[in-house]
Amino acid sequence: MSPTPDQHRDTAARLPAPVAEVNGLGITASDGRRLLGDISMSLRPGRLVAITGPSGAGKTTLMRALLGQLPPDTAHSAGHLHVLGHDMLDLGERERREIRRTKIAYVGQDPASALNPRLRIRTLLTELNTDRTPTAVRDLLDAVRLPAEPRFASRRPGQLSGGQLRRVALARALSKRPALLLLDEPTAGLDPALRGEITELLRRLTHEHQLAVAFASHDADVVAQLADDVVVLGSDGARGDRLKRPSVTSVAATGREPSGADAGAAGAEGAEGAEGAPVLEVHDLSVTFGRGGEGSQPVLDGVHLSVAQGSAAAVVGASGCGKTTLARTLVGLQRSRSGTVRLDGTALPAAMWRRSREQRRRIQLITQNPLGALNPSRTVGSSVARPLRVHHRTPAASVDRVVEDLLNQVGLPPAFADRYPHELSGGQRQRVAIARALAAGPDILICDEITSALDEATGHAVMDLLQHLREDRSMTLIVISHDLPLVRDRTETVTVLADGRVVESGRTADVFADPRHPATRELCRDFVT
Amino acid sequence: MTIPHRAARFLRVLPAALLVVLALVGPWITPHAVDEPGTMPFAEPGDGALLGGDQLGRDVLSRVLAGGRELVLSALLIAVVVTAAAAVIGTIGALRPAVGRVVERAADVLILLPAVLGIMLVALSWPGGGRLAVAVAAVVLGLPYAVRLVAHAAAPVAASGYVEAAAAGGERLWFLVVREVLPNLRAILLALFGLRFVAAVYVVSMAGFLQIGPQPPAADWALMIRENSPGILLNPWAVLAPSAAIGLLALSVNLAAAALAPQTGRKAVTLL
Repeated sequence: MSPTPDQHRDTAARLPAPVAEVNGLGITASDGRRLLGDISMSLRPGRLVAITGPSGAGKTTLMRALLGQLPPDTAHSAGHLHVLGHDMLDLGERERREIRRTKIAYVGQDPASALNPRLRIRTLLTELNTDRTPTAVRDLLDAVRLPAEPRFASRRPGQLSGGQLRRVALARALSKRPALLLLDEPTAGLDPALRGEITELLRRLTHEHQLAVAFASHDADVVAQLADDVVVLGSDGARGDRLKRPSVTSVAATGREPSGADAGAAGAEGAEGAEGAPVLEVHDLSVTFGRGGEGSQPVLDGVHLSVAQGSAAAVVGASGCGKTTLARTLVGLQRSRSGTVRLDGTALPAAMWRRSREQRRRIQLITQNPLGALNPSRTVGSSVARPLRVHHRTPAASVDRVVEDLLNQVGLPPAFADRYPHELSGGQRQRVAIARALAAGPDILICDEITSALDEATGHAVMDLLQHLREDRSMTLIVISHDLPLVRDRTETVTVLADGRVVESGRTADVFADPRHPATRELCRDFVT
Repeated sequence: MTIPHRAARFLRVLPAALLVVLALVGPWITPHAVDEPGTMPFAEPGDGALLGGDQLGRDVLSRVLAGGRELVLSALLIAVVVTAAAAVIGTIGALRPAVGRVVERAADVLILLPAVLGIMLVALSWPGGGRLAVAVAAVVLGLPYAVRLVAHAAAPVAASGYVEAAAAGGERLWFLVVREVLPNLRAILLALFGLRFVAAVYVVSMAGFLQIGPQPPAADWALMIRENSPGILLNPWAVLAPSAAIGLLALSVNLAAAALAPQTGRKAVTLL
């Protein structure tokens, strides 16, 4: 509820002047669809404002409006938006760039795509910085809890994990000492320990530097912990109510309740699933990046993994431990240096193009990054229909209907089939990627952080769908995640990776109840079963 | 896409379309005979000959109208073949690094060969080849540059999530090239086509100027420049008209190629 005029004057008197103010902002697409309607908020120094709402509600569009850069084919239809006293939507391109360069820092949903892959971390951090000394780099790396050693600063983005990239992007944003910091899903895809650290870090930096921070997030916990104010966007982009800070307890209760109910069921199935024949066996797998020459550390070192048919296995570990590399090696996108991957007892060739079409179909990977996963030149429908046609699993006449079904299953309206990826939000793209992987009818589905771009309700719906397929078609699920509640509720066995090695594996319930290895204990620290 | 946008695009494609059509139908609408003298040698414009006469007193306007068709056709053919071949070879090189390395080294060697030398080599070893020999030489000489350009443009697309997803989903190489990678390189391919067209026009006219390919008394823009250059002071139009035609053709085709490139929207997903 918007505050009464009296309250408003009262709060305005106590708070520092806003860095950015949004008043009744409306954004519409060229076809008249309303993307945002009647949004109001103020961003003040030292305060964190959360922008939340379901996937596709317009969180990213609002962020882009604050930057004065609306997505193509959209127009400003109502209201005002001021940043540092300038009307961002009505300013000359040159002035707008000047403000963006010096006053606003933005960290996107997929930080990896915003970091130039050719630049070293050191250069990325000094590029925007007035202070270019090695000390400044060290301090920044230290501030985001990355190893502040010269060897790390000499790496390039391709050699870092998703969580590390996110922190580098954050450090880069901070390096120019902005007045306004915009973060799109700052904690998506981070493990709980890291998420705690990043939220703590954001809170500290906000107060120390008197930053005005706006962040989009669908993680109710993070919003509750971090936000001073919350702006809720409705599903059709209409303004929801402007809420006061929600109480932590109520969010935790609603968020965790359904998971608690599932836990018992998953545990019961676990015993049965673990006895099935292994459909996927990984033996002594090692992967090294680059030429394997001077000082190149193996990313994976002697990894063993065995997954029973129809079971759900989790791979967990701290950011940078090689989870994604393992997933890519299983589908053949990354070549292993040694070791074997066996599918139903047959060793798979290391290079993907040597695998048969049928072998490729049987193992599908859904990747972490929703932005790059869809071809920008093809409609959603044609992307999802393609696996159906390639593998001849559906009669040509019924392809359209199956596509509609698949979109429906991942919670997207059938009309989305005609849209192009740039018309979709991050969460919607992720769901299309999931539908495409399911279209191939895989026997093994590897999910690399697939729920991190989704709001909680959609995330649960997607996991329910996968569990359903697992029971119906005895599909095998390999879940790579930082989300320990999800791992606990949805998987039977868990493998813990640390620095490219398997340090612990076993029944999920057992491992979480009695973690043996320090790395597992570290992971479980913030997570009480 | 709004209407004014479409109109602007149409306006930018129009000059090239007009010129190409004019060059193609030119031989049928000549006001005078192409190969018979009608005026004094190097006669000034006027008196029924709008652009005067050439070295043998033939009508310059008629010869300009008649002399473009083969140049335009062979340049278009060369540009299409070079762009299409480079698109496929370059993309395969990007998708299969091992192939890519071989292709790039081969391209390096070919780039070292000077264009004029290459054309003369082909023309001398294939005396009866005529325009076909010139076209083959132009394709062979233009391809390496184009392949390198496409290979580098395709590299980031080949590494993108959707190409990996398609490959992991069981797609064959051909589908990856034609349906996944190339549609995202439309802007670059159109620009490349424009550049290769200009290069082809220059190579073909250069060959004509060196009298490899078309031989007198054929009407040909390049040949006209060469034949009539001694009389440039008497009737400058005999040289200027075909030169302007070649220049305008090159400019307008590039303008059209740039106008046809996709603007925003379906291009690679915005990073912001």
